[in-house]
Amino acid sequence: MRAQLPRRVLLSLVLRLLFLKPVVTGSCSGDDQELLRQLQHQVDFMKDSSRLLDPYMHIQGLDVPGLKEHCQERPGVFPRENALHELSRRGFLQTLNAKLGHVLHRLTILQQNLPKVQDFGTVKRYIYGIRNNIYCLAQLLPGSSETAEPTQAGTEDSPPPPPASDTFQSKLQGCQFLRGYHRFMHSVGRVFHKWRESPSRSRSRRHSPHRALRKGAHRMQPSMRGKRLMPRGQLSQ
Amino acid sequence: MVFQIEISRIETSNVIWVENYSTPVTWNQVLHWSWESKLPLECVTHFVRIRSRVDDASIPELRSWSNWSSWEEVDAQKSLGQDPLVVFPINKLVEEGSNVTICYVSRSPESNISCAMEGVPIHGERLSPNVFAFILNNVRFIRETGTNIYCVSPSNMSGTILFVSKVLEEPKDFSCETQDLKSLNCTWDPGHDTTLQYQPSQRYTLFESFSGKTKLCEHKKWCHWQVAPDSQETYNLTLIAENQLRRRSVSIFFNLTHRVHPMKPFNVFLKNISATNATMTWKVHPVGNYSTLLCQVALHGEGKVIQHNVSVKVKGQYFLSELEPVTEYVTRVRCAASNHFWKWSEWTGQTFTTLEAAPSVAPDVWRNVKTVLGSHIVTLFWRPLSKSHAHGKILFYNVVIENLDNPSSVKLLSIPAPANGTELTLDQCSYQIHVTANNSVGTSPASIIVISRDPGNKNVEEGRIQGTEDGFSLSWKPQSGDVIGYVVDWSPQDPRCQLQWKNLGPNTTSTVIRSDAFRPGIRYNFRIYEISTERIAYLLERKTGYSQELAPSENPQVAVSNLTSHSFTLSWKDYSTDSQPGFIQGYHVYLKPKVEQCHPGFEKVALSDDSVCCQYKIDNPEQKTFVVENLQPESFYEFLVTPYTSVGEGPHDTFTKVTIPDEYSHVLMRIILPMSFCLVLLMVLCYLTSQWMKDKCYPDIPDPYKSSVLSLIKYKENHHPTIMNVNDCVPDAIEVVNKLEGSRIQFLGARKSLTEMEFTKPAYLYLLPTENYSGPGPCICFENFTYNQAASDSGSCGHVPVPLKTPPSQLALLTSPENLLKSLEQNYVNSSGESPAGENSLNYVSQLASPMSGDKESLPTNPPGPALCSEYRTQMAVSLGHASPSPSENSSLSLVTLLDQGEHRR
Repeated sequence: MRAQLPRRVLLSLVLRLLFLKPVVTGSCSGDDQELLRQLQHQVDFMKDSSRLLDPYMHIQGLDVPGLKEHCQERPGVFPRENALHELSRRGFLQTLNAKLGHVLHRLTILQQNLPKVQDFGTVKRYIYGIRNNIYCLAQLLPGSSETAEPTQAGTEDSPPPPPASDTFQSKLQGCQFLRGYHRFMHSVGRVFHKWRESPSRSRSRRHSPHRALRKGAHRMQPSMRGKRLMPRGQLSQ
Repeated sequence: MVFQIEISRIETSNVIWVENYSTPVTWNQVLHWSWESKLPLECVTHFVRIRSRVDDASIPELRSWSNWSSWEEVDAQKSLGQDPLVVFPINKLVEEGSNVTICYVSRSPESNISCAMEGVPIHGERLSPNVFAFILNNVRFIRETGTNIYCVSPSNMSGTILFVSKVLEEPKDFSCETQDLKSLNCTWDPGHDTTLQYQPSQRYTLFESFSGKTKLCEHKKWCHWQVAPDSQETYNLTLIAENQLRRRSVSIFFNLTHRVHPMKPFNVFLKNISATNATMTWKVHPVGNYSTLLCQVALHGEGKVIQHNVSVKVKGQYFLSELEPVTEYVTRVRCAASNHFWKWSEWTGQTFTTLEAAPSVAPDVWRNVKTVLGSHIVTLFWRPLSKSHAHGKILFYNVVIENLDNPSSVKLLSIPAPANGTELTLDQCSYQIHVTANNSVGTSPASIIVISRDPGNKNVEEGRIQGTEDGFSLSWKPQSGDVIGYVVDWSPQDPRCQLQWKNLGPNTTSTVIRSDAFRPGIRYNFRIYEISTERIAYLLERKTGYSQELAPSENPQVAVSNLTSHSFTLSWKDYSTDSQPGFIQGYHVYLKPKVEQCHPGFEKVALSDDSVCCQYKIDNPEQKTFVVENLQPESFYEFLVTPYTSVGEGPHDTFTKVTIPDEYSHVLMRIILPMSFCLVLLMVLCYLTSQWMKDKCYPDIPDPYKSSVLSLIKYKENHHPTIMNVNDCVPDAIEVVNKLEGSRIQFLGARKSLTEMEFTKPAYLYLLPTENYSGPGPCICFENFTYNQAASDSGSCGHVPVPLKTPPSQLALLTSPENLLKSLEQNYVNSSGESPAGENSLNYVSQLASPMSGDKESLPTNPPGPALCSEYRTQMAVSLGHASPSPSENSSLSLVTLLDQGEHRR
């Protein structure tokens, strides 16, 4: 029961993401605040460890004393929060986009090793929505000539690697990765929160939101040219 | 040759395994021999050496062992990395129930390393300073992702996954069959799933030995096998199940034509559906050339199942007969190979409903006859036909009333369903009543009842009957031998409940009436009729009873009467014994006396509340009065009357309190009442006497206009002095008495008692016009010189102008002081100058005046208002010198004088 509710919530979110405001049929909204607000909601939703980490630990049997203490984030996998704050907005969006790509890849592996865990697929689709909102936010950068393409489900899929020689270490690494992911999304949420709190001040700075976003947009690799993208995933929490 | 192989662990001298391996050898052949160590080879260094000899008796010189080879060292740790702590084996796959040995290898000798399996610490054996081994016995399956085993040192942590697989089972219920002789469908029960994460799943393979063909099955529970086109008839199929740890197989041998499992029939139709028949058709899938199938038709309806077998090649047909009208049936068909039965196909079904038919039986009819004012009120009852008899929806009932005394008189009533009865008013003739039920198709047979002139409700004494849980058992004596049956009808005491009846055969003389409607505490009345061959019902017996008697639920309303100092009477005449939940056998009268002893006839009993009271038992239920006697006067009693049945008595809910009067109260009542009556009578007599006395002694004042005094007025108007003739006055003497305070004034004209008034001036006698007088008229004033000495001394009939109280409005004009005085001064003032005393002045002295002493002194300075009432007394004339008219404040429409009361009598 405990795991079913988040699944239903996730499912509803995914349905809204994929069907109500489909990426492939729309173009981006010009309201950067709205995009930021939605990204904030999405990131806040994903920082909850009950979405991924807790089910993973339960299935792998890592939620026992002596093991769960070793499921800690490994340094260097995800940027620390202070590092994120120090990034320019362009750099932040680039980093976030890239890390989410890594997460998608890793989740694909986990999903294939644990096909009975439906949460992986759900979260993957959710991350696609986040990345598309990042793309839309980047589109608002002034003078951005290089447009990025939104992410489509499946583009990050790749054949899973063969089973690790040390499955125990693979389990632990997956656990550590997911913990780092949730922590990373928490930090990202704080960055977005800061952006939303000081939009005018940010505009007056060297890296205004628009300018910063536009600077960062060209580094992304979107593929949906000419399509309007709407803000993704209004969280229903 | 025979090879002897030795294996040592940790050091060469620690030989742990010796094995002789015999095998034929050829020149330059490379031999393989394997050995699996229980302890992972990575844990410690192993050594192996080998020697050989020829195992051939023909070459005895070579039968001795060769020299040992040098020890070969197997050190798996060298190939490992530099991890400070490692647990072995890595990703070990074992079956459930196995014993597994694991170890950890620490790069540096650490003593503070602990290991656990799924969070539970495990304890092992040190093999070397850096190696510790653990033996896990009978490992169990925990999860598909493996069992976590890990070791933790203060600075490091390492672990391994033990994949514990369930034991692969031999497939059960392996079977193959064909639907079309073209392919085989093989199924089995795989048992436990041994699939683990990162481990290959168990797989199944079919192998046919005659053809040598093999097929890897895609599913774990079933597999298709394509039949060879060369019409292979027999098959020997082997199902092989295997995973990484085990291999299992099971085989079956069969003839293909014996494993025909046809597909379910199709195109099932019902045609020619009537009320009782229908025809079912269907088709079957052909099974190669083996086309004859045995089909089974099942008919479900009315809670029954009827099965028939039909041999079918391509099309099947079956005639369904003896069906019930208006009934929904489900018909199904399935088929199997007729020559070599293997399995039935699945069912294919169809639902249909038969058509309506005319009702098959006459409705069950009964009647109740009442005779009212020479007419027979016949109430007919009938039961609705059962579905199996109605054969459709009953639309209406026809009631044909045939006058047997006048056969040409037939009356038809059509009563729409779902009515279950009707009421007829018939005259004194005999009637035959036919009742039929009708649906859309036709009419049922008629049910016939004859109502004779004599309804047969002869006076039969009602007997009592005791019901049981099984019902009411009734028996009767047949009166005439020529009957076609008996009918027992019954109904509850409540007339609103409908009559029920039961038909019985002619040879029946007893029955048990059972009904779920029977309720405890309800009285049911039964009547037993015999039905003559003329279909006339004759009442044989009447019974009444309860299925289960209950104690009365209520007590009667008891009235207390004839309350005396020693007794009172209780009565409950309104209590109906017939409408009680049991036969009332009598009553219990409970009395709570003040003393502990009960009265004669009473028994001392203990009530449910542990109180003690006296009980008197009345055995006659019709006795509804009871006299409680021998009571103590001025005492307090409580009583309760409760009926009782065979089950018990009524509730002991409320006792009624009675207070017994004292012994003399009735005597007093006998005295006080007559005395009171006498007193009232005396008072009435006194009143009447006083009225008589008043009429006799104090008659009403005569009308002054009819008095001779008026002649004096006329004289004044004519300016002709008139001497009042004393004889003209009816009363020959007038005495005016001034009534002082406290005197009561009567307004004689109105005969009302008015307010008390005080008079401060000498009273005058005014002769005023009657109430019919409407204008300023003559008024006669007599001054009372008895009390108006000053005025008398002056010799004038002076008036003291006093403000008069406001007279009644209608008297204002005449009674106002101004008018009054004016008219008096102008016309009637008694002046010695004008009228000689001896001629025209009259002084009246009250014969009864006796003014109270001190009245003069107490006269108020302010003159009082006019006295509205004065009393007139018979006056007598006195000498002139003493007479003086006195003004009076009193006004009246009649002659008003202020007179003393009581002393003047005429």
